[in-house]
Amino acid sequence: MRLFFELTKQSIRRHLTYRAATLAGLVTNFVFGLMRVAVLVALYGEAQEVEGITVSGIITYACLSQAVIAYLSMFGWYELMNSVYTGEVAADLLKPMNYFSYWMAQDLGRAIVNLLLRGVLLMVLFSFMFELDTPQTAIQWLALPMAIILGWLLSFSWRFLINLAAFWTPNAVGFGRFGFVLSWFFSGFLMPLRLFPDWTVDLANLTPFPHMLNTVVELYIGVLSGAALAQALLMQLLWVLGLILLGQLLMKAAVRRLVILGG
Amino acid sequence: MNIINVHQLHKQFKVSKHRRGMWGAVRNLVSQDYQLVEAVDHIDFQIGPGELVGYLGPNGAGKSTTIKMLAGLLVPTGGILEVNGRVPWRERQAHVAEIGAVFGQRTTLWWDLPVIESLALLKHIYKIPEARFQHNLAEFTDMLALAPFLNTPVRSLSLGQRMRADICAALLHEPKILFLDEPTIGLDVVAKERIRQFIKQVNQARGVTVILTTHDLQDVEKLCERVMIIDRGRLLFDGQLKSLRDRFGGRREMIVDFTESYPDVAVEGAQLIAHDGVRATYQFERDELTASTLIGRISSRYRIRDLTVRETEIEETIRRIYEKGLLES
Ligand SMILES: Nc1ncnc2c1ncn2[C@@H]1O[C@H](COP(=O)(O)OP(=O)(O)OP(=O)(O)O)[C@@H](O)[C@H]1O
Ligand SMILES: [Mg+2]
Repeated sequence: MRLFFELTKQSIRRHLTYRAATLAGLVTNFVFGLMRVAVLVALYGEAQEVEGITVSGIITYACLSQAVIAYLSMFGWYELMNSVYTGEVAADLLKPMNYFSYWMAQDLGRAIVNLLLRGVLLMVLFSFMFELDTPQTAIQWLALPMAIILGWLLSFSWRFLINLAAFWTPNAVGFGRFGFVLSWFFSGFLMPLRLFPDWTVDLANLTPFPHMLNTVVELYIGVLSGAALAQALLMQLLWVLGLILLGQLLMKAAVRRLVILGG
Repeated sequence: MNIINVHQLHKQFKVSKHRRGMWGAVRNLVSQDYQLVEAVDHIDFQIGPGELVGYLGPNGAGKSTTIKMLAGLLVPTGGILEVNGRVPWRERQAHVAEIGAVFGQRTTLWWDLPVIESLALLKHIYKIPEARFQHNLAEFTDMLALAPFLNTPVRSLSLGQRMRADICAALLHEPKILFLDEPTIGLDVVAKERIRQFIKQVNQARGVTVILTTHDLQDVEKLCERVMIIDRGRLLFDGQLKSLRDRFGGRREMIVDFTESYPDVAVEGAQLIAHDGVRATYQFERDELTASTLIGRISSRYRIRDLTVRETEIEETIRRIYEKGLLES
C-alpha cells in the first residue's frame, strides 16, 4: 500500500514537470471543444431536445468529451508496450512487486494530474464560454467522483490488457490502435451513445467501453438518476472487477512467455 | 547444501526466418518459418553458498540467457533449475525478493529519478526496515563513492556512476545471491578496480553468493576461484581457475640470462624463440617438461646468471580454449 502511494506520488511529480505538453494539450482540447460545440449545435438546429439530451446538455457533452481525453488516455497509451520492446520490463520483473498494481499506481498519478490540469481546468475554461449543465441532485454529485474513479479503473485495466499484447508479438502497436479506436465508438466519445441507433447501443452495452466515459457524461449532464444511476455504477464496478481479473490472468501467461532482448 | 542447483537446463529460442523479397514477404504472412536456437544446451552445475563464480564464454555463448533464467526472467525450455530452494519463474516475486541482479547493459533504476529517490523506492519495494536501509546505504555509499551523484537523475549519470548505483541498488535488501552480468563493461581501470573490490568485499564480509559474467579476465583473475566456461550453449569447463591454468595453460616461457654470450644455446625439449646476446627465451610444454628439468639441461652446458619462468596469462589460456575448442572432446 505504501509502495502504491509512493509510486503514485513519483508519477504525479513526473507528470507535473511536463508543463509544455500539458499546456499544448489544453489548448488543443479547448479549440476542438469549441469546434465540436459548433457542429453539434448546428446539427440540433431547431430541436430543443434529442433522446433526452437538451441543447445545453449536448454542449456540456462536447466539452466533457474533450476534458476526458487526457486522463483516460483516449488517444492511446503504449508505455507498457514500449517497456517490453526496449527490455525495460526486465527491471520491473526483477522487483518483488505486482506488475499490474505497479503500472496502476503510475497511471493513477498520470490520471490525477491530467484530470485536474486538463479536465477540471478545461471545464472551468469552457464554463466561461457556455452555459454548462451540472449534476442536479446531491446523489448525482456524490456519484460523480465514484463514476470517474471507476471509469479510470476500467480504462486502465483495458489499456493494460491491450498493452500485454506486446508479450505475444513484436508489433502490437497496430493491435493497440485498433483497441483505442474501438473504444472511441463504443464509449460515447465520438457521439453520446443515446444518439446512436438502438442496435449500436445494445452492442456497445455488451462491451466495457460505455462505462468508461458515457456513464460519467450522462451523470454529469443529469440524464442518469435513480435506479438507472445505481445500475450504471454497479455495471461499472462489475466490469472493473472482470477486467482486473482478466488482466491478472493474462499477465501470468504473458510473463511466462517473455523474451527479454539484449545482453 | 547448494544454493543453486541446475540439472540438464536448456533454453531454446525460436527465431523466425524472414524470407527476402516480395514473394518472401507474402509467404511470411501466411506461415512463419522458425529456426530453433539452442542458447543453453543441457547444462549441469551446483553452486554452494558464499561461492564467487566466474561465468565465461565468447559472445553469444549463452551466459546472459543462463543468468536470466536464474534470475527468474526467462522460463527454461526444460531441465531442473532451483535457486534458494525455489523454481525462479514459478515463484517470481518470492524469488526476486532474495536475489540481487545487475545487467551491465541496462539499469534497474528509474531513468528520470535522482539516484537517492530510486533507492528510496526500492526500500518500499523490498520492504527494507528503515534502520537497515540507512545502515546499508551509508556503507555502500562509502564503499562505492556514490555521494557526489546521489542527487543526480539516473539518466545523467556516466556509465561508471550508473553501474555503481545499480550495484548498490541490487544489494540494499541484503540478497543471498548476486547475479552480475558484465558489471565492468565499458568502465575505466579505476572504476573496474573499485567495483571488483566491492564485489570481493560483499562476498567475503556478507557471505553473498556471486555469479559473475565478464569478458574482462582481470575480473576473473582477481575475484574468482571457480570458473565455468560455456560455449554455444554447452558447459565446457567447471572447476578451479588454477586447474584450468594447469590443464590448458599450455606453453610456459623461461627467460635465461647467461654469464657470457654463447653462439648456440639450443636444448632438446624446449623451443628457442629468442636469442639476443646473453639473453635467451625458451618455450616448453607444461606436461612434457618441468621447469627444473629444463634448468638442469641448460645449466649442464651453459652458465646461468639469472632466470625467470613465465606462466601463460589467463587471457591467453582462455583465448586458446575459445579458439581451438580445446575443451571439446
Ligand atoms: N531473445 C532471443 N531471441 C532469439 N535468440 C536469442 C535471444 N536471446 C539470445 N538469443 C541467442 O541465444 C544465444 C545466447 O545468447 P546470450 O545473450 O545468452 O549470449 P551471451 O553469452 O550473453 O553473449 P555476450 O557475451 O555477447 O553477451 C545467442 O545465439 C543469441 O543469439
Ligand atoms: Mg550477455
